[in-house]
Amino acid sequence: MFNRELKKGSAEFLVLSLLEARPRHGYDIGKRIEARSKGRIQFRIGSLYPILCRLEDRSLIAGRWVERTGERRRRYYRLTAAGRKFLAAQRGTWGEFVLTINRIVRPDHA
Amino acid sequence: MPDWAQYVRQNLGVPRVQPEREAEMVEELAGQLEQAYAEAIERGMSPAQAETAARQHVADWAALATEVGRSERGRESTLSTLQREAEDRDAARRGAFSPLTDLRQDLRYAFRVLAKSRGLTIVAVLTMALGIGANTAIFSLLDAVMLRSLPVSRPQEVVLLQWTALRHPAYQSVVAYGDCEMKGGTGPATGCTLSKAFLEQVRAKTDLFSGFATFSYSRPMILSGNGPASRATAQYVSGDYFGTLGVRAAVGRLLLPADDTPQAPAVAVLNYGYWQGTFGGDPAVVGRTIHLQDLPFTIVGVAEPSFVSLTPGNADDMWIPFAQRGRLEPVKYPERLEEAGSWWLVIVARLRPGVSRAQAEGAVSQLFFNHLVHAPKPLAKAEDAPAIRLLPVQTGLTGYRRELSKPLNVLMVAVAILLLIACANVAGLLLARAKGREKEIAVRLALGASRGRIARQLLTESLSISVAGGVLGIAMAFWSARALLIFLTSTNPRALGFSVRIDLPVLAFTACASMLTGVLFGLAPALRSMHLDLLPTLKEEPNLSGPGAAGRGRWKSGAVLVVGQVALTIVVLMGAGLMVRTLRNLRSLDPGFQPANVLTFGVDPTLTGLRGDRLGQFYREMRGRFSEIPGVLSAGYSDIALLSNGNWMIGFHLEGRSEVQMADQLAVGPGFFATMGMPILAGREFAAADYSEAAWEPGGPCRNTDRTNTPMAAIVNESFVRTFFPKTNPVGLRFGSGHGEGPDATEGCASPGWEIIGVTRDAKYGDLRTEVHPTIYEPDGSGGIFELRTTGDPRAAIAAVRGVVERSGYDLPLYEVKTQTQIIDELLFQERLLARLSTFFGLLALLLASVGLYGLLSYEVTQGTREVGIRMALGAQRGDVLRRVVSRGIALVGAGAVLGAATSLGVARFLGSMLFEVKPSDPFTLAGVVLLFLLVALIACYIPARRATRVDPLVSLRYE
Repeated sequence: MFNRELKKGSAEFLVLSLLEARPRHGYDIGKRIEARSKGRIQFRIGSLYPILCRLEDRSLIAGRWVERTGERRRRYYRLTAAGRKFLAAQRGTWGEFVLTINRIVRPDHA
Repeated sequence: MPDWAQYVRQNLGVPRVQPEREAEMVEELAGQLEQAYAEAIERGMSPAQAETAARQHVADWAALATEVGRSERGRESTLSTLQREAEDRDAARRGAFSPLTDLRQDLRYAFRVLAKSRGLTIVAVLTMALGIGANTAIFSLLDAVMLRSLPVSRPQEVVLLQWTALRHPAYQSVVAYGDCEMKGGTGPATGCTLSKAFLEQVRAKTDLFSGFATFSYSRPMILSGNGPASRATAQYVSGDYFGTLGVRAAVGRLLLPADDTPQAPAVAVLNYGYWQGTFGGDPAVVGRTIHLQDLPFTIVGVAEPSFVSLTPGNADDMWIPFAQRGRLEPVKYPERLEEAGSWWLVIVARLRPGVSRAQAEGAVSQLFFNHLVHAPKPLAKAEDAPAIRLLPVQTGLTGYRRELSKPLNVLMVAVAILLLIACANVAGLLLARAKGREKEIAVRLALGASRGRIARQLLTESLSISVAGGVLGIAMAFWSARALLIFLTSTNPRALGFSVRIDLPVLAFTACASMLTGVLFGLAPALRSMHLDLLPTLKEEPNLSGPGAAGRGRWKSGAVLVVGQVALTIVVLMGAGLMVRTLRNLRSLDPGFQPANVLTFGVDPTLTGLRGDRLGQFYREMRGRFSEIPGVLSAGYSDIALLSNGNWMIGFHLEGRSEVQMADQLAVGPGFFATMGMPILAGREFAAADYSEAAWEPGGPCRNTDRTNTPMAAIVNESFVRTFFPKTNPVGLRFGSGHGEGPDATEGCASPGWEIIGVTRDAKYGDLRTEVHPTIYEPDGSGGIFELRTTGDPRAAIAAVRGVVERSGYDLPLYEVKTQTQIIDELLFQERLLARLSTFFGLLALLLASVGLYGLLSYEVTQGTREVGIRMALGAQRGDVLRRVVSRGIALVGAGAVLGAATSLGVARFLGSMLFEVKPSDPFTLAGVVLLFLLVALIACYIPARRATRVDPLVSLRYE
């Protein structure tokens, strides 16, 4: 289980990368993260929802209501152009970070 | 399923968030919780467990609210910015007022709508073209005659000297050529002809005036040297005439002051139109010599085309200087024209810059006063207040404007009424069509169009119709104005100096008329659309009992329009009827002589060089030969033909009375009274001795009577006797003696007055309408216009007359060959013009109004088909149905007729002075007009009525 701080910092990154392939609705995003991480990262609705609001506010994602017959309408989110650019930038940074953390974390064979 | 929305709403409390945004959040969160719940149920949990599991998704509501609130504030600012931008863009697109795009849209839509109902559009446009075209035609005439300014430079500086006095001064002779307002007789008098002596005094006032343009009468002369002898009119003008007016030459030069001196060579300037017509516009005419009255004149130039004449309508063929008058005038008009008592010059002058009209007027008026009152032989008394007014030449020289102005104004009113009828007609058409468009308009209103927008759309349609009508109308006007002018000039002895042009004022007038009429007849449907009830229209409620409540309103306005058209038509027809009756009355008036079967013509023998007694001999000889022509009953001659060209007047004193009396005067030759059918009621006809005594001395300015100091024999008419010698036998009485008076009163000639030798019946002389003036007929054998009384058509004798003249051995052209009836007709040209045109417009109005009536009844029949079907099913006969429709039509006509009759009584008052022996409220004319309309209306009603009777009850009952 990754600790909270790490989760928070990477939360936006996770959400954005999930939306890269296709638009999803809020609950679906949480489910996917949980599935991909094999349960190690769990996002509750209460934690995920503010992230979505934040990302939408920064115009990195765009949300719209979709109505299907027989269903309550749901809000779907997609990646904006700005969001794609941000994601690409984040990937580079994350990769570096992971390497750095790994070096820090691995026991020192001195 | 628990109510997740409620759950979220209860727990989520984000401060400072919009209700819509909050609702969104609630919905999204509730949706996600619902999904979680559903999943838990799927996994096999119980509802209670699932609910707990879902709730666990949001453990800390406060933290959530805080997080969301933080981002919310950011989002809000972004959102509101975005929103504002979007709103601005929308506003810009919609436009608070972007007229151009809206206009284009409206026009496109209008054309589409009009094209769909092509028939109606064509009828509407043609109707408008008719109305606007008629107005434009008359206005262009008005513009040509009344409004166009004189073709002189800086006309505001040019003035006309018009004299006024409380009683006419004691001039010996006064000549008027119809240039300005002139009043003689007793009472206040005015005129614009003055004496040469006075002109000299005014010319001396170089401090006031920078130049003079004086002119006088135009003489018809024989022109030879350009093919066969022909007649031309030449006007005498001063040498500085053209220079003062600022007229330019088209070719060559114009007259100069040097040309107006006694020793100067004889020169002439041609009128542009005359040059084009008679000389073919050949520039080589400059320097050519022509002969006027057999005297050589050199043509020095041609005036510019825009200068036809100074006095509107008095166009002459050429201008010659005053100095040539002495050579050209036959001995009949001797040097007495230099006298202070001979007023024959029209004085036009240009004010010096800086001199005001009032200033100059005061000085010249004083000059005039002194000239008349303090002369060695005073021509007026101080208490007669003789004065000079300096009128702007534009208003002072009225010329032919005076005669044409009243008929033109009447015609303008008539065509304005015609236009109103046309508008009412088209409004009716549009109203009827509006019913079919009600659904369309209702839909548009329901979709959100504003009522103002709809009204604007309808107005655009109506303006399109009226503008199209206006353009077509201009074409019609151009053609008809020309035709009108041709009619005017052909029936008028004087060439009309007017050119009808479609120029800027006319186009502006047409544009205004089109716009105004478009708004006028478009208003009714437009206003109606604004009060449209949406619901009933959209639901398409069927007409149950004939016209529904909404329908009835429209029918009422349709009926009002028709009644209005009928009323207006009655007014126009009434005016036409009155003019026609006036013309008939004038034509059938007894002029006091026998005008039928009289041929008149002139031969001008001055070309032969005969003078004095030899001239008289020539005329007597010709007269004799003319009377021998088979078919000619008698022949005579007179100075001018009766009712042809105004009249001469002369002043004289009566015994013991100091004031000057005026009478008409005509010089007649032997055979005149017999030929004209004027009986001598007392005394005798002129004898040979009378003629010889009255003849001029050979070579001298005086007559034989002056030498022998015997009064000239005179025949007077009944009016003369009634006025001056009432209740006495006037034969043998003398008048004018002892005062040096007579037709020939110049210094040196004794002029011992007249002695009455006979009395003749009153006969019209100057014009038909006025009462016959006291008239003096004098014996003068020296020539004039011949009158021949024939057994049959007088024109049949023309060839024989020409033969006689040719055989006389002199090459003399005949001129002014007319029958007396023709002469009278020319006199009545104004009345004929009005009668003809007002009848034409009246019939047009009748046609339009009938079409309008037919249209309305037709429409009502179509609308009321269901009702008719019900009635017939219930037993009504076809005759009843017919009667209903026809009586509806007659009722409308009746209402309109009453309204029209009342209006026409007021309007006909305008015609007042133009009518003759018929009152404006003449009941017979009114009755005739109304009957005519009823007749036409019956036909207009009959057709729709028949259609109504052909309704099959079964079909109509199913008709929706």
